[in-house]
Amino acid sequence: MVETARVLALVGFVIVAVFASSLLFSLFGIPPLTGLVSLFKFGFGTPGAFASTVGGMVPLLIMAVGLSVPFTARVWNIGGQGQFVIGSIVSTWVGLEFAKSAPPGVVILLALVSSFLGGAMWLVPPILMRIYRGINEVITTLMMNFVSVFLLDWLITGPMEGRQAIALNEPSSAPLPGYLMFPSLVPGTNIGLGLVFALFLAVAFFFLMKYTRLGYELRLIGQGVGAARYAGVAVERDMLIASLISGGIAGVAGMVQIFGATGVLLPQVFSDITTSYGYVGIPVALIASLNPIGIILSAFFFSGILTGAYGMELAYDIPIDVVTAVYGMVMFLAPLGFHIRFSKRKLRV
Amino acid sequence: MLPRALPIIAAATGELVDQSAGILNLGVEGIMLIGTIVGFFTDFYTGSLLLAFLFAGVAGTLLALLHAVASISLRADQVVSGTAIWFIGWGLSGVAYRALFGNYLVPPTIAALPHLQLPVLTSIPIIGPILFGQDPAAYFILLMIVLTHYFLFHTQTGLNLRTVGEDPRTAEEMGVNPIRYRYAATMFGGFMAGIGGAYLTIAVTGTFYYDLTAGLGFIAVALIYFGKWKPLRTLVGCLVYGAVYVLFLTIQTHFLMIPYQFFAMWPYLAIVVILAAVAAKSGGPASLAKPYEKGA
Repeated sequence: MVETARVLALVGFVIVAVFASSLLFSLFGIPPLTGLVSLFKFGFGTPGAFASTVGGMVPLLIMAVGLSVPFTARVWNIGGQGQFVIGSIVSTWVGLEFAKSAPPGVVILLALVSSFLGGAMWLVPPILMRIYRGINEVITTLMMNFVSVFLLDWLITGPMEGRQAIALNEPSSAPLPGYLMFPSLVPGTNIGLGLVFALFLAVAFFFLMKYTRLGYELRLIGQGVGAARYAGVAVERDMLIASLISGGIAGVAGMVQIFGATGVLLPQVFSDITTSYGYVGIPVALIASLNPIGIILSAFFFSGILTGAYGMELAYDIPIDVVTAVYGMVMFLAPLGFHIRFSKRKLRV
Repeated sequence: MLPRALPIIAAATGELVDQSAGILNLGVEGIMLIGTIVGFFTDFYTGSLLLAFLFAGVAGTLLALLHAVASISLRADQVVSGTAIWFIGWGLSGVAYRALFGNYLVPPTIAALPHLQLPVLTSIPIIGPILFGQDPAAYFILLMIVLTHYFLFHTQTGLNLRTVGEDPRTAEEMGVNPIRYRYAATMFGGFMAGIGGAYLTIAVTGTFYYDLTAGLGFIAVALIYFGKWKPLRTLVGCLVYGAVYVLFLTIQTHFLMIPYQFFAMWPYLAIVVILAAVAAKSGGPASLAKPYEKGA
């Protein structure tokens, strides 16, 4: 009953948020309703748009799964963007370095493992500060995002600079050899192995939360640290493990993006929402109330809005930043869903 | 050094009052961004500095009101709501800029703020320009943080507000309405963050570009931790931050062989290191970020 009310409320809030944000279109001389219709048409309406939306889900889905693990325990890893960048740096380096000396399967596996470790490592200092000194992890994880962006910028204009420029006037690393790239499953689209992997992670997350002790304990912590401790949960250890998984998965998202989509390290513009998967992952996870199936749907929805907004920018010269505001409004309404959930179910120990 | 520090000082002043009442608003970053565009736009079209700061403050207050409704009345998680506010401010400021100035080929700029010029006093070497050569908004922001110190620690209302942040139940038993105090504090926080954002475009950059604040709002929150929720200690933190920022800019021009990215990343790393070294586990308002339910 409560569950149904929550889902209905959430759906209602999302509709309100999308309608409210469509008012922004009128700033550019397009009636809100027309704008809304074209947004969905450009995002989902044609086979090509649909394919890019599905392909674009991959980094969002992986990222949202990674963020949801600590979010369940109310540990807020806002640094997914930085962990994503570190994961893409590490995996590109591995790919370029070992391409000639090892078989492709080994290189890809090595890139996967090292991007996981790199992303997890990037989160270690902030999370230890949170757990042992109570320092707000939102601030520190966010600061690490900026550091990663400048690190990337230095690498692709310095030590990792590519000989041939991919895009004119834009620095980048050397491209990965084509045989290392994930094969596309649907010819002519970017739907490939990355999507399979992302869906696999969502299923793994479902099992983690539903059937493992760690998942159960994280949910207890999320409902109240004091009560969880009273119930015998090793709060610090669980928070640390959840965070390492989170940073690691965010790093892997960076690897999948390199090996599955771009094939090359490109500069990260901090304010560019279209490549800020670490930030967009936050509303994707929250709007779904951290539910694995919900996350798949919201990743699809968010990816569609992004694809749609690209179309709107091309067709009507509407800035892509509309998307950021839409995401914000959707996320703003997500806490209300949380509220219904947490106030009705009191933990009994 | 001071111009760099002032936007942070303004935002930190508001956030400090906010947090003292028990409300954590991580949306300061987004509110500052709204302040940058509203302040810039108003100054550009009206030429009135007073209106520019006022409108930026009011816009900030409105955005903070959203956070207040979610976190006080609806008792939503304040981290989630604050992050949402950040996204809304981030997106809206970019959209607003394109809608308002999109047809300009060259980014428009506004004239710099007039600086105070006093006979004799301003011409005293070094301290003259620092003490007597600032713009009016700078004096306003500095006055606000000093007044905030007085308000929080030397008035009954300030004591009530801090009690709300420590223990809203006790406050209510004393006859203080925690909900009302928290709303007022959150809206004041939004007003000051808006002012801080406006100062950034009007006095520091003179123009607007995307995501202009680049984490300044979060740095303001971090410096409150450094200041242990005391306005004057926070002020010192902001000033030192501004000074070191300028120092690094100066050093950078002398060491061109070191890639600029290392200079650019230090302010963010420094915040992490400072927090690790200084912030204590306890010290903040006891009920910070905890929703209050009447009579529960």
